[in-house]
Amino acid sequence: MSKTVKNHNKSSAVVKTLIYIFLSILAVIYILPLLWVIFVSVKDDKTLFVSPWSMPEKLMIENYTFAWTAGKLGVATLNSAIVCCVTLVLCLLIGSMAAFAIGRLRWKFSNVMMTYFLTGMMIPVHCILIPLFTRFAKMGLTNSLLGLILPYLTLSLPLTIFIMTGFFKGLPNELFESACIDGCSIYKIFTHIAFPLSKTGLFVTGLMSFVANWNELLLAMVFISDDTKKTLPVSLSKFVGPYNTNYSQMFAAIVIAIIPTIVVYCCFSNSIVDGLTQGAVKG
Amino acid sequence: MKKKLLSVILSVAMVASLLVGCGGKTETTTESTATESTAATEKSESTGEAAPAASGEVQEITWMFWDDLDATEDLISKGYKETVDRFNKDYEGVYHVTPITTNLEEYYSKLNALVAAGETPDCFIVSPGPNLDVYVDPGVAADLTDYLKADGWMDTFNGGEGAFSQQTYDGKIYAVPLNIAAACVFYNTEMFATAGITEMPTDWDGMLDACQKLQDAGYTPLTISAGTAWCLSMLAGYLCDSEGVDLDALNGGTASWLDANVVSAANKMVEISKYFQPTAAGDTNDVATANFYNEEAAMLIQGSWAIAQINGSNPAFEEKCGVFAFPGTDGRVIAKSDSLAMSATTKSPEAVIAFMKYFTDDTAQKYTAEVGGKIPVTKVEYDASKAPAQLAYVMDVFGNAKSTFGFYNESLASTEAGSTFDDAMVSIYLGTPVEEGLQTVEDFYENNVWNK
Amino acid sequence: MDKLLRDKKAIILFVAPAFLLFTFVLFIPICQSVYYSLCDYNALTKPVFIGFENYRQLFTADKTMKIAFKNSLFFLIFSVVTQLIAGLILAALLTNIKKGRNFFKNVYYLPCVLSSAALGLLWMFIFTPKLGINQVLAQFGIEGPLWLMDTKGFIILPMWVIASVSLWQYVGQSMMLYMAQISGISTSLYEASYIDGCTKVQAFRHITLPLIRPMMATAMSLNAIGSLKFFDLIFNMTEGGPNHQTEVLATHLYQQGFKFFKYGYASAIGTVLLVLCLIVTFIINKFVKIENYEM
Repeated sequence: MSKTVKNHNKSSAVVKTLIYIFLSILAVIYILPLLWVIFVSVKDDKTLFVSPWSMPEKLMIENYTFAWTAGKLGVATLNSAIVCCVTLVLCLLIGSMAAFAIGRLRWKFSNVMMTYFLTGMMIPVHCILIPLFTRFAKMGLTNSLLGLILPYLTLSLPLTIFIMTGFFKGLPNELFESACIDGCSIYKIFTHIAFPLSKTGLFVTGLMSFVANWNELLLAMVFISDDTKKTLPVSLSKFVGPYNTNYSQMFAAIVIAIIPTIVVYCCFSNSIVDGLTQGAVKG
Repeated sequence: MKKKLLSVILSVAMVASLLVGCGGKTETTTESTATESTAATEKSESTGEAAPAASGEVQEITWMFWDDLDATEDLISKGYKETVDRFNKDYEGVYHVTPITTNLEEYYSKLNALVAAGETPDCFIVSPGPNLDVYVDPGVAADLTDYLKADGWMDTFNGGEGAFSQQTYDGKIYAVPLNIAAACVFYNTEMFATAGITEMPTDWDGMLDACQKLQDAGYTPLTISAGTAWCLSMLAGYLCDSEGVDLDALNGGTASWLDANVVSAANKMVEISKYFQPTAAGDTNDVATANFYNEEAAMLIQGSWAIAQINGSNPAFEEKCGVFAFPGTDGRVIAKSDSLAMSATTKSPEAVIAFMKYFTDDTAQKYTAEVGGKIPVTKVEYDASKAPAQLAYVMDVFGNAKSTFGFYNESLASTEAGSTFDDAMVSIYLGTPVEEGLQTVEDFYENNVWNK
Repeated sequence: MDKLLRDKKAIILFVAPAFLLFTFVLFIPICQSVYYSLCDYNALTKPVFIGFENYRQLFTADKTMKIAFKNSLFFLIFSVVTQLIAGLILAALLTNIKKGRNFFKNVYYLPCVLSSAALGLLWMFIFTPKLGINQVLAQFGIEGPLWLMDTKGFIILPMWVIASVSLWQYVGQSMMLYMAQISGISTSLYEASYIDGCTKVQAFRHITLPLIRPMMATAMSLNAIGSLKFFDLIFNMTEGGPNHQTEVLATHLYQQGFKFFKYGYASAIGTVLLVLCLIVTFIINKFVKIENYEM
């Protein structure tokens, strides 16, 4: 008996090791390309083409200073931050309000409304670019950050509503019943019970919409003409010239651009995981 | 509870007022700027072009360009930035130009969106050919003929009216060229010497012979990019032209893409492709050019804009780099120019014209030659010793040329036709039989060009 | 309670902001674009109504559309299937280890938060024969294939490469969704099964899989819609080339609309794409039944 247990343990230890080896190899596949970007960003274009994989001979920190000043990355980062944060807050508020109505309140058209919002996820943004731009130009919304916030907000809504509806549906009924008995209004139930309890869900959707908007290029490129209002992805594309591309400087700019997302992600990744976990358990 | 209700209502109201409020606000601002600029126009009309306007009546114009003026490494773009700064300084208080920049990829998307919204930039850069047709046909670009003829501006150009052949529609000129780039063969003089080539090839057999000698000497004879389709298509364009392919006949429907001369041109391309670097199929334009200036291949077929990239990346290479005309073309050279067009709806045409003149004045044109390495369009005197060594060779090639023709992908019936041609050439290079590859271009013309 | 939840005024207040925004910013432009799909329109001149001409051309004359359609379907099937399998395997493995679980989870999820345009550029570099992976292979005397330019076969090599990169980038998302659902399953179920002599694989097959079915439907719908709209990676890795062989619906739409300014025609492609998304979502939800819209 004890022998079989031992064997069992042995074989499971082997399996464990195999799993770890597999996961580690996979992790290398994930990390290596990202490390390579940092690598390239401190080379110059000439050596980049001669020996892409060798160690950089001398560190071209200039790439970073050039990318930062010529690409006007400072003001671009600020613009991106403003646009994404405002969008984030409004999106969570408006999205979860709608999700609450769809997931919790009882009305005839709630499913229809859900489908209506879901179609928004299926539209490629290229399709609505020109109608939207003409409309916004008439309203004077082009070339302003508000003109970016509105479409970003609207494009983030479907996913927010999709996920948050699930969260609200997953909240236990008893909570609402007892609140009702205590004489809470429906608004108070939303602000004091539903909203705080789905913090983790808000976190996940918030992160998703923030990342999507942080990386969005096409709308930003077409809607914003003023150099002082450009967002980060637009500034990155500045390094692509008509006939040639400053690869090393562009990669330096890319590194600068992804650092905020990585920092945010690393700080919060465990809560994100928890958020997803909780969301799923409840849903 | 009431408080919460209020906050919800407020948030709704806020969104609504944002929409409404902004709409209202801009209407008034556009109105006021409109009146302002008409007033300014009237004033400048009555007092003449450079008359100092009263403060606060600066005419604002916009100029749209396809490269960022600060982050760029392209020397021509840097020159444009200097021109913009010079213009704004000289006309301070009268005119002011604001550049709108995108990268080339999104340039036309953005320009078209602006046109669709009725906010066409006052002045914009454009490539001649079908790209310009698009703006001339619906009347987006303004007729510049009168401005050019008015005060001898046109006479400053090399060849007078002939300089505008690519920009002329029904006798009217719709854009002003700023510089010319010619497509040439750049070569590594050292490698040619080692391979024992003393005379530059002047015909097709000579070219193949040179390639063979280079290969025997252990060099990669030719670096080219098939990953960036227009690079390969530049070679194909030269080959088609030297076979006597008549684009007007093709665009007009009196010749076919399956005619013997096109087939023979495509066969020639296949013939020389064995001398390409082995990675040509996947290399992008940047990689192919880097192969050349890093001395991994002996020849590069490129536009003269590559001079700046070559010398900038490997300054030591400048003295080793020679240039000759593509052989066997009977003295014809592919040329490409950047051109400026003016919006037909601009409120300040004088400002735009004054701005355009800054691009073709001696300072700017001198820069074009001495620093930018492109061929100036005006009869400017420049210091040849300051210019990159290769420019002199390119100028030679250009000066000896009997005639020029445009890039194939910019000379066909439409941008899409050009792109179809580029793609067909790439697929033939990758192994599609010649006739099958050309059939796709023929099909495109049958469906989209000839029956319309 | 019921009365409270049927409060009309509250419902309107809650839905109105999202509804208004959605209608003005998204829905009206969508309708406009559907109208443009029936027009000859190049954004520079006024649209001219031509009926279903764009659609006729799209389905009868456009060869690239056939390739794009084929590639989009390949992409759809590939990403739905591989994301499902790889996501599940990763989720199962990660829930079974303790040490380093968060580390691996974070690493695999990382590409999801990065810009796919930048990642596309990076992978384009890696698959460029002169620079990337082929140079490494050459060290071992292997001549690597033309990863992004090969055109042989029904589904060509570049499509497999791009599909694998997209799996690399997005599998983290599926993995997280499945992990979240798996960790919600009560451990007592597993304990009971082990007592009955189940192996871990058997437990996964008979307990985990059935219980995460709803999540599978959600994740598959998200994957399906995402893969049909897929644009950034392809655009940055091949731009649809060589010779349109890697074109998908979204890139074809972009080329037609923004390179050749056939805006009406591009809108027609967009409409086809929308209809396709609707059908696929419907099918997935029909066969992998989910209750409501829950995660």
